[in-house]
Amino acid sequence: MPGGGRCPGCGSSELVEDSHYSQSQLVCSDCGCVVTEGVLTTTFTDEGNLREVTYSRSTGKNEQVSRSQQRGLCRVRDLCRVLQLPPAFEDTAVAYYQQAYQHSGIRAARLQKKEVLVGCCVLITCRQRNWPLTMGTICTLLYADLDVFSGTYMQMVKLLGLDVPSLCLVDLVKTYCSSFKLFEASPSVPAKYVEDKDKMLSRTLQLVELADETWLVTGRHPLPVITAATFLAWQSLRPSDRLPCSLARFCKLANVDLPYPASSRLQELLAVLLRMAEQLAWLQVLKLDKRSVVKHIGDLLQHRHTLVRKAFRDGTAEMDTQEKELQGQEQGQGQGQGPSEEDVGSSPSDLPAGKRPASPALLLPPCMLKPPKRVCPTPPVSTVTGDENISDSEIEQYLRTPQEVRDFQRAQAAGQAAMNVPNPP
Amino acid sequence: MDQNNSLPPYAQGLASPQGAMTPGIPIFSPMMPYGTGLTPQPIQNSNSLSILEEQQRQQQQQQQQQQQQQQQQQQQQAAVAAVQQSASQQATQGASGQTPQLFHSQTLTTAPLPGTTPLYPSPMTPMTPITPATPASESSGIVPQLQNIVSTVNLGCKLDLKTIALRARNAEYNPKRFAAVIMRIREPRTTALIFSSGKMVCTGAKSEEQSRLAARKYARVVQKLGFPAKFLDFKIQNMVGSCDVKFPIRLEGLVLTHQQFSSYEPELFPGLIYRMIKPRIVLLIFVSGKVVLTGAKVRAEIYEAFENIYPILKGFRKTT
Repeated sequence: MPGGGRCPGCGSSELVEDSHYSQSQLVCSDCGCVVTEGVLTTTFTDEGNLREVTYSRSTGKNEQVSRSQQRGLCRVRDLCRVLQLPPAFEDTAVAYYQQAYQHSGIRAARLQKKEVLVGCCVLITCRQRNWPLTMGTICTLLYADLDVFSGTYMQMVKLLGLDVPSLCLVDLVKTYCSSFKLFEASPSVPAKYVEDKDKMLSRTLQLVELADETWLVTGRHPLPVITAATFLAWQSLRPSDRLPCSLARFCKLANVDLPYPASSRLQELLAVLLRMAEQLAWLQVLKLDKRSVVKHIGDLLQHRHTLVRKAFRDGTAEMDTQEKELQGQEQGQGQGQGPSEEDVGSSPSDLPAGKRPASPALLLPPCMLKPPKRVCPTPPVSTVTGDENISDSEIEQYLRTPQEVRDFQRAQAAGQAAMNVPNPP
Repeated sequence: MDQNNSLPPYAQGLASPQGAMTPGIPIFSPMMPYGTGLTPQPIQNSNSLSILEEQQRQQQQQQQQQQQQQQQQQQQQAAVAAVQQSASQQATQGASGQTPQLFHSQTLTTAPLPGTTPLYPSPMTPMTPITPATPASESSGIVPQLQNIVSTVNLGCKLDLKTIALRARNAEYNPKRFAAVIMRIREPRTTALIFSSGKMVCTGAKSEEQSRLAARKYARVVQKLGFPAKFLDFKIQNMVGSCDVKFPIRLEGLVLTHQQFSSYEPELFPGLIYRMIKPRIVLLIFVSGKVVLTGAKVRAEIYEAFENIYPILKGFRKTT
């Protein structure tokens, strides 16, 4: 194989790539001299013959890169490939890993932390490019503990002074919903449960937006909210067939893990929808509950902006002014709305006072609506100066009497003896 | 949060988002959208400070301009009016919830709005000096309560922890788990870690004086156990306070406008971690409006930090 090499024995350039069993060799076809013998016995002369040499003996410019750093960089690339990220992400993630490795704190960290660091670099890259990747996914892929991950992640962000944007909720909804296996009939998914992807996606997005507006998303993990919203969207698109299906069964059908908080998010979302339904007169007479409101989610979402404004009031506003304002709003809306709002607008102004929609509820996060678990009494103003006299009796109460000391020592000795007794053979 | 470990891993992350390379403006951010899809830029701290210095210079320039205009008209009223103008200028600057309160500058003032300066000084307005040193600040009316004080003291002698654990009722010592005696007293209700070198850490007190009294009581206990304990270098290391602003806060909006100081990861922790630079305090801000302040060495730092953060939080009160 012409490669510019010359046989050291006879000087000919006719070198042939041959292999002796599994070891690759470069042999001179004239004199039979073996020029190089594969990676096991390479030397500087082999490198001179333009053959591959082991990394540690090469004159590569990256002699500064240690084995563990190389391993880490390799892992970063592998993780990017497993997650099927675009190629540009790989280089950025690798750059972050190298940047982090400059710091002595990271270099001296344990291997467990370095493995988690791989995930942190990939996560930061994805966040900055608006690729929705949750920490739960990365922790599962790396078999890492979320606590260790969170510590390393916060440390890395602080060390490198990075600006990491928040997880983009819209993209997360789109990827997460697409992963539900409900868009084609299969042996496990009966035909009545199959749903059109676009319809479900758009309805889920509207429900998640509604949840965000009514304080159900702030401060909480985003994924359970999306699970609950997807479930409601799916149910409401064909309520007659799908109402009997529970959230747990739905997740099993769709082949998606059910996150633990999803059921409480579902209840909160249904409560919000019920409040909104109270503002629609034709739904008011139906006396909806948490199951029957699902049938009307389509209507509620269509008019969600108006309904939220009417159903809820700002948690800090005065009650009187808000109620008067809302009454005026209702009447004004009854006259000034377009064709889509006709049915909404006409009914409130025609109703007698007794059948007025319910007075607005406070729009607050659920943690503020629940009564406090325990009332913290305000501590009494203490008049301690720090330099008071400390009485002897007060200190004596913390000291053992000599009798107690003897008893304690005897008990300790007995305990030690019991532990030291060897087991009978 | 432990259950979230079992959240869908593969199913969620592996599907490629449609149009991933063309980011749209997210629906859910009420404030200005973050610059999406750009190459990551690490924060340059000097940049943010220089921006603020510029703002301060602009403010001062405007104050000077206002002062010059007024002085041309009336001499005596100019003194009062200039102060009110500059104070109100700061009020309009400070009232916008978006300027980060880095320096402990004046907060909102109760000065009248520009354009309504009285021609003659009313008997109610005091004749304040021209340089607005400490204008009347509209305080929040909420005082953070101290919840925990951590202090250290040096007892000045080597201690035998086994003896202490044997002869004291309120001590626990497990050398395999931790190399110190854990001692507790009832009044003030505190806990102390006593090390064999003679150093002691006292935690759990609700005020500086209580912490000092508790540390002295622990030193007395050690003294009575037969060690020549002294009370050297008592120092308060950390103070934790908490309070409630009583309105909900849009944490997503706060992290967008104050991204240099805030860290909000709902997947990890429900609160927003705000690292204030002056004073150097860390605040945990929750959606319910409760705020925890920590990292202070003196009580005044906690109060100052809360007065700095209150106008910022008020700025997020009415956002939908």
